Formats: sequence, C-alpha cells, structure tokens
Amino acid sequence: MPPVPSGSQPNRGGGREMASDGPPPEQGKTEEEASTTAAGSGANDLDDPHFMCCVCLELLYKPVVISCGHMSCFWCVHKTMHIIRESHCAICRQPYKHFPSICQLLHHLLLKLKPADYKRREKEVLEEEKSIKTYSPQIIEFLNSKNNEVGNNENRHEDSKTGPPQEVSLSGSIVDDNSKKIKLEDVSCPLCKEMLYQPAVLNCGHVYCVSCLSSLNDEALKCHVCGSLHPGDFPNVCLDLDHFLEEYFPAEYISRGQKVQFKKGQCNREGSSSGTSSTKGSNRTQHDEDLANIHIGVGCDSCGAYPIRGKRYKCQDCTELIGFDLCDACYNSSSKLPGRFNQQHTPDHRMELDDSQLLQRLLRIHGLPEDGQEELMMEEAVVAPGDMVQIVINNQVGEGGNDVFPGEAAIEEPVGAPGAMLHIVIDDQEIEDNGEEDQAL
Amino acid sequence: MVDVSRVQKELTECNRDREVSGVSIALHDGANISHLTGTIAGPADSPYEGGTFTIDIRLPGGYPFEPPKMQFVTKVWHPNISSQNGAICLDILKDQWSPALTLKTALLSLQALLSSPAPDDPQDAVVAQQYLRDYPTFAATARYWTEAFAKSASTGMEEKVQKLVEMGFPEELVRSTLKSVDGDENMALEKLCSV
Repeated sequence: MPPVPSGSQPNRGGGREMASDGPPPEQGKTEEEASTTAAGSGANDLDDPHFMCCVCLELLYKPVVISCGHMSCFWCVHKTMHIIRESHCAICRQPYKHFPSICQLLHHLLLKLKPADYKRREKEVLEEEKSIKTYSPQIIEFLNSKNNEVGNNENRHEDSKTGPPQEVSLSGSIVDDNSKKIKLEDVSCPLCKEMLYQPAVLNCGHVYCVSCLSSLNDEALKCHVCGSLHPGDFPNVCLDLDHFLEEYFPAEYISRGQKVQFKKGQCNREGSSSGTSSTKGSNRTQHDEDLANIHIGVGCDSCGAYPIRGKRYKCQDCTELIGFDLCDACYNSSSKLPGRFNQQHTPDHRMELDDSQLLQRLLRIHGLPEDGQEELMMEEAVVAPGDMVQIVINNQVGEGGNDVFPGEAAIEEPVGAPGAMLHIVIDDQEIEDNGEEDQAL
Repeated sequence: MVDVSRVQKELTECNRDREVSGVSIALHDGANISHLTGTIAGPADSPYEGGTFTIDIRLPGGYPFEPPKMQFVTKVWHPNISSQNGAICLDILKDQWSPALTLKTALLSLQALLSSPAPDDPQDAVVAQQYLRDYPTFAATARYWTEAFAKSASTGMEEKVQKLVEMGFPEELVRSTLKSVDGDENMALEKLCSV
C-alpha cells in the first residue's frame, strides 16, 4: 500500500487518538486540481481527492449517486435525507425524493482501487450498523472481472443474505496486480457495451453513458439491466466517475468522446432531441405541498421514495427493526426490488396498509387543525433509521398559566430501530404568516 | 452523536493552511470535541482589517447534519452580527446548512460576511440603520471596534501608549494610567487630563 503522503500531521485532538491512517482530508481547491493533473493514468494513490464522501470526509463506502450526479456513502445519503420534505443534495442543493440504490459499479471500482482502505471502511461501518441493528445491503463480490455485463443478474445480489451480515470476504477479489487494477469491462455501459463516457447513474444504481440513456425512446426511463423504472428527474452526469475515467483511460476516453460527439451530430441532423437536460422521467413530479399525506421517516423499500407519500404498505412478517414498507406504486407493480436495509423480505410476506406514521393522523391525535400543518417545522431533520419520533406540539406559547408545559406532548412508537430521538415541533402560533415555513428557525 | 472522526479531520484540514486562509479552529477546553473556538482574520479592504475575531463554536449532537452553533466572542460592529451578544445572522448557519459544508467553510463564510454585509437582512437593526443611512460613521465605528476589541492586547497597548505619548503625556504615566483602566484609551485620556 502506498504510504499516506500528506496526512501525517500531528493529531490536534488532545487525548483522543483517531484512526489517522485514512486518506487525507479534502484538500484545497488548487491543490486538488494540481494533484488531479499530476496523477495521470496510473493514479492509485490514497491521496486521491476523488471518491471522498463529502459528508463523512472518508473514502466513499457503498456509494450512492443521486440524480444530480453527486454521491455519498449509503448511510451518509440516508442520514442527509429529510424525513418529511423533499431532500436536497448536500453539494448542489438540487431537490430529490428517492433514496437511490447503491451503485455497484462504483462499489467494485473502489474495492479494486483501494482494497485496504475500503476494507477498513467496511469494518468501521459494520461496527456502526451492529450498534443500530440495521444493515446496509450486502453486495456479493465479483468472482471475476467480467461480471459487469448485462446478462448477469447482479441486481438481485442484494437480497440473498440472512441475519446480520458476515464480513464479506474481500481478499478473494484483491489481486496483486498493480499495473492496471481496473479493466475496461469493469466500467462499460450496458447499452453500448463500450467504456462509459459521461456516465449517469439511475435510481437502481446502474450506470449508463448519458448519451445512451437520452437516446432511449421509451416513455419512461427504465433500467435495461434490472428493469426498474427510474423515478424523478433525468440523471445528470456523475462527474467524479467521469473524471476518473478520463484520467485512468485517457486514450479510450478521448476516442469515446469523439465517437459520442459524432453520433450526437448525426442525431441532431435527424432532428432528434439531444437530451442531457431533457425532462424525461420527470413526469412524476409530485406536489410538495401535500404534507399531510406523508409518512414521517418511512421510506419505500422498492423505489426508495422517502418519505412515502400517500398510501403506505407495511410488511407484517419482516422482523427487522426498520421494517419493510412499500409505497402505493411499488405495492401495485410487479417488480419488487430487495429491501434497502438488508431485510429478509420475501414475496409471500403479508403486506398491510399502515398509517401509524401518517402526519395527518399524528396531527389529528394531537387535536391540531389540519391547516396548521403548514407551520410544521423540523428541528433535527436527521434521523438514523427508525429513530424515535417525538412530536412536540407547541401551540400554547406565551400562555403563562399552563399547568403542563406544552412540550413532550407524546412519544411515538419507534419507527424502526433505536437511535437518537427525533423532535418534530409543530408551532401554530404563526398561522397568519402562511407560507413562511422556515421563519421560526 | 457528533461524528468525532469527521471533526478531527476538519480540525487537521483547517489548520493546515491557517496562514493562507486566515481561519483556524482549536478545541475550546481540550477535552470536549463539541466545543471549539474559531478565529478569523478581518478581511483586507474592510473596516475589520487587521483584527482577529474569535468565534465560539458548539456542535449539536446531529452535526454534521445540523449546523454548528457559532457566535462572535469578539465584539463586532456589523449589520448581521449582534453588537450585544455576537449572534450571527447567516443562512448557512441556519436553514441553508448542508452536511457538505465544514467548520472551515463556515468560518470562511463569516469572513466573507465581514467583507460584504447584508443590511437588508439585519441581525442588529441599529447597526444596519447606520450602515444604510450614514456609511462613513458606520465604517468609522466598525474600525474603532476592530481597533478596540479585535487587536491583541500587547500590540494594541503599544499603539495606545504611542498615541498618548504623542499628545504630550510622559510615557511612564501613560503606561500606569492605561494599566489602571484595563487599556481603555478614552478613559485613560480622561484620567490623564484630569490629573
């Protein structure tokens, strides 16, 4: 393993010794650019500012790519998502409503590129997962480097595990071949079968050239590997991956670029749409205003919609703390993806309508007028899976003679797993100020 | 729980180029990772130039998914910073916070805020009024506050001594008088004049 060149500063943390053998933290902009250009095709240094999660500042682990093209670790994305409203990308603030599946291509890429670091991250994350008793999807390792091809049902790998996952044996796939750890077939597009050029990642985690995706003429954007529909906006190019390919395979990248440009030119002459910014797939834009139909902190385990809007179906047989839930659309569709948190859900499990976390119901329980919902505010928008949801009704502020302090109105049942408490503050003092939701923050 | 490993990384990263960036962070009391002290250099070409401003930083349990709580310890005359208690009005420390931001970027934003105040969205109404109606007075006050509160005691003291000596008072007397009033230039002058 190459030594960490610049990460060896004295630890400034007083008595706390942290693992300091990780990749060095983010570098300044200019430095980053300098190292990018200097790195060249053989770059496999740890000192690679790409593939660092912007949330935990660590090497990405089980990367998830949002439709804006930015990525974070599985847990980092999940923790960043808003339990009531639509979520916003931590980097570009673009809104999104679905928790995408892990991008397996990137997962395997990182595993090959930085095996030791990735393994360390795996251990750390598994420790954390044990403590919250909720697990991220387990990914079966590639047996050889050719598995990336279309016919391989890699999309089903996520579902076949039992119980708390064992540490996956990574060593098998680590080859001591430093010359070129990544092969072209590891980074190929399932549609054109060539090296990815300007890759975009769908909600299911599968990666395509953006030009291949936009040349599809289907009504809705659908993954050709796993068949699942892509909800939300047309995905943007994942620039981190694109830059990596450009550095790692410079010659191939240039020739791919020329080919794609040529094809694009032809398409344009034929008058077909040129669409990185096309609105394909965005026909499902829901109205965000309808907060009452939201199931607080409950996500769909199939399409990743989070929180679920409208009907929620909860599995009666899954025993995992986090439970297994589906949104209306996924409940009624035939394609069932495995759970997002490694649940042992099978098709014969009983699903039932559930409104225990429905905002409307929670408001009704606390006798709040439904038009008060606009004043709903979040303190601590962040919940680890299945944290306790505590609803605090704060509609009596300023009434001096109250015998009961209007906090702690109720403690709701756990949504899934134990963890931190979630506080929801409902303050209907400012009902006159409609639309100023964030005012009291 | 505060993400301890992330905060450690942030500290290392921020202090690596403190000379260039003009911002630095240290643990407040050496043991508690969620209580920090940040310092920023007053930006050039602003009334705050030359000052060093101290900021109290407290990390909530949900950090980095919740914004850090920051407050100026050094007194500042600025439309978006309370002249009373140092409270800061800045969107990224409130609803515009994103976990991709760091303590360093937040401090740099504060530095930028010092350079370009937003008087239309004030924290301190008095200061904002003054900024809008009488900018020269605002700038003079801000510069004076920087001089008085944001410059380290030792260098500030020498300048004050210099100034009072130039007015014609004997240096020995100036030093002892300044010392007796805790370095307050105006009070020292008053005292010197009444002798």
